Amino acid sequence: MTAPVTFQAKDYKSDLKPIWCPGCGDFGVLQGLYRALASIGRPPHEVAFISGIGCSSRIPGYTTAYGFNSVHGRSLPIAQGVKLANPELLVVVAGGDGDGFSIGGGHVAHAVRRNIDITYIVMDNQVYGLTKGQLSPTSPKGLQTVTSPLGSLEEPINPLLFVLAYGAGFVAQASPADMPGMTALIEEAIRYPGFSFVNIQSPCVTFGEDDQQLKVHKAKMKTLASLGHDPADQLKAMDLARSYGTELYTGVFYRNPNPPLSYEELIKLRQAEESKKARPRNRILDAYLQK
Amino acid sequence: MTTQTQTQGIDFATLSLRDALDLAVLIEEEARDRYEELAAQLILHRTPAAAAFFTKMMRVEEIHRKQLFEQRQRAFGNHPVMVKREMIYDVEAADYDEVRMNMTHRDALEVALRSEIKAHRFFEQALKVVPSVEVKKLFTELCEEEITHQALVKAELLKLDPEKPGDRDDFSDDPVAQ
Repeated sequence: MTAPVTFQAKDYKSDLKPIWCPGCGDFGVLQGLYRALASIGRPPHEVAFISGIGCSSRIPGYTTAYGFNSVHGRSLPIAQGVKLANPELLVVVAGGDGDGFSIGGGHVAHAVRRNIDITYIVMDNQVYGLTKGQLSPTSPKGLQTVTSPLGSLEEPINPLLFVLAYGAGFVAQASPADMPGMTALIEEAIRYPGFSFVNIQSPCVTFGEDDQQLKVHKAKMKTLASLGHDPADQLKAMDLARSYGTELYTGVFYRNPNPPLSYEELIKLRQAEESKKARPRNRILDAYLQK
Repeated sequence: MTTQTQTQGIDFATLSLRDALDLAVLIEEEARDRYEELAAQLILHRTPAAAAFFTKMMRVEEIHRKQLFEQRQRAFGNHPVMVKREMIYDVEAADYDEVRMNMTHRDALEVALRSEIKAHRFFEQALKVVPSVEVKKLFTELCEEEITHQALVKAELLKLDPEKPGDRDDFSDDPVAQ
């Protein structure tokens, strides 16, 4: 043991008690977030949680950090605005698969390509839990729900391939069935200098399928490290990501070994460049007079 | 589960008695907090018998934590704690997915029993890798304590009427897909 304790997980925990169903995977994710933040060591007032709507989108209220429980599917645009307004903030976006890949699906591609330094954590339970068990964008084909009583005819969205295809610099998958592994991945994602994405298989105990529960995860999951996967290999990452829904691979699928400058860093450079050309204060109006 | 998967950044080969005591305090603290969380979840979801048992377990874990903390204070005073709560994962704390809405008193006792078994296994595994005689002595004591706790929970389970496995069916508010 080397250093004295600075921030602890409990420093990020608010007094509000989660109202998720007992046994929900989101309890573990929340605990992992507290611990990852404690390891990073940024004080709660330097952290902002942004979410949309859904069970997992309640997370901002359960932390002592700044929080914005926004509108359905709009967490990413709001988070990008928050980060650009205050680039010093550590911004974490939390939400479910419905919020992220259905109503908010259009925003994901732009958040990825813009490469703002935020971390997007999706708690993927393959069902709309808050509204009592309808088909979600990641529900497996054939799933019978109240909105697909004869079984779904659609292929699910693959969140991992989705973000990899748009060029995300950090893509990982985790499960609360492996708390240390999940916590380490969240921490690694937050530390990545650019847009980072973690898909967490967080089962719904009430409306989820039996084979999606944590006990099954424990038996089924395989770490990418144990497969000898090199996270710098983007093509292999895409190949492995194709098994979403059949295999449960956890770990880093892809980490850009040479992260490009983030959007906010590019803005800083642009501002510095433009300020060199800036006129003295008493000549500012000249720009308009010349027109 | 082994010591490897339940801890992160702890080198058992070099663990000092002070760090071992701090680790034991944190393990009890984690278990106490988890029982408190689980009780709060079950109160919210109208599962009072299991919630009451978890509240009782929370108090028991707090007593253990306090005893270990006092032992630590007597031996090492206010020397800063080097072991972080972030280094341990569900050593004695019940897993989050162990609980369910409408679980019975018996279910709750079984959860506690599995947690005590888990904690015993942790110290048993740790004993194999700690070289320090003092730490070995502490972990042996903790191991024995966990066996005592298991016996207490088993005794409680025996007190329950086997003819009445639980009151799960008495609940009328099971969630229904809509």
